[in-house]
Amino acid sequence: MRSRSIISGEGVGARINVTPMIDVVMVLIVFYLLVGQLAVDRKASIELPASAFGIDHTQEEDPIVVGVSADGMISINGQTIGSQRFAGEIEGMHTRSPNTPIRIRAHRDAPFGVVRPVMAQLRDAGVMRVELVTEQKR
Amino acid sequence: MNDHAPNRTRALTRRNVLNRSSRFGPNMTPMVDVTLVILIFFMASASIAGHEWFLRAHLPDAQNPDLANSGYTLPTPMLSAELFVRDDAILVRGFGADPRPIETVIEQIQRMDSKLASGLILGILAGDEVPYAAVVLLHDAAASRGMTVAIR
Repeated sequence: MRSRSIISGEGVGARINVTPMIDVVMVLIVFYLLVGQLAVDRKASIELPASAFGIDHTQEEDPIVVGVSADGMISINGQTIGSQRFAGEIEGMHTRSPNTPIRIRAHRDAPFGVVRPVMAQLRDAGVMRVELVTEQKR
Repeated sequence: MNDHAPNRTRALTRRNVLNRSSRFGPNMTPMVDVTLVILIFFMASASIAGHEWFLRAHLPDAQNPDLANSGYTLPTPMLSAELFVRDDAILVRGFGADPRPIETVIEQIQRMDSKLASGLILGILAGDEVPYAAVVLLHDAAASRGMTVAIR
């Protein structure tokens, strides 16, 4: 009787069913990914201006991304930085890799008085060209 | 009663066979779950974030208004647009005798012959209170006609 019950599948049925656990873990991962993404966006609070014309991003080289929020908060590659430290930091980065493109992600409602100092500091650091990130007009 | 007994035994046996056979194949449920969740995630993220691209801008030396001599070579001749805000309207100086609304200037640029426009530089100078989106709007119109844009 004992050997018969094992053969008939009772032993197989006693395995732990990992399906619900995988489901729950995946849902949690997706939830945290979404929340994390939304938190980053809210932190940066950057809504891009729209444009009908633009150049698509290429994957040739990772650009230096300079963020400017509506209230003038500056960030480099997602890391918030004070305006005093910005000039030195960007100069160092540009000197180390002069061919790395510099992209400006500025909030569409930011007054130009907030964006101009960033451009001036870039210019002082020897940056001659920048790429202004926009959202494709629908 | 005795007539029903063999039928019940047979039914149970069939169920056992079905259960057992379903355990032997690969369990597709987690894979389908994960695939659907990933699909929904990418659909949601794609709809939240619009397609991003960029406009190229030159940063000439602010101390030297002459773009052609500002440390690097830019083609000439040059147009100049000075943006400012008056009575909540964004006006542009440099496209005609009087300042014009930005919409009029954009239409003016869009009507330009692209062959002629592609050799031009548009120098944009904006006041502190001008929204960044207005600068991009003008830049967009100029870039669509093949102009080189310099932000001063």
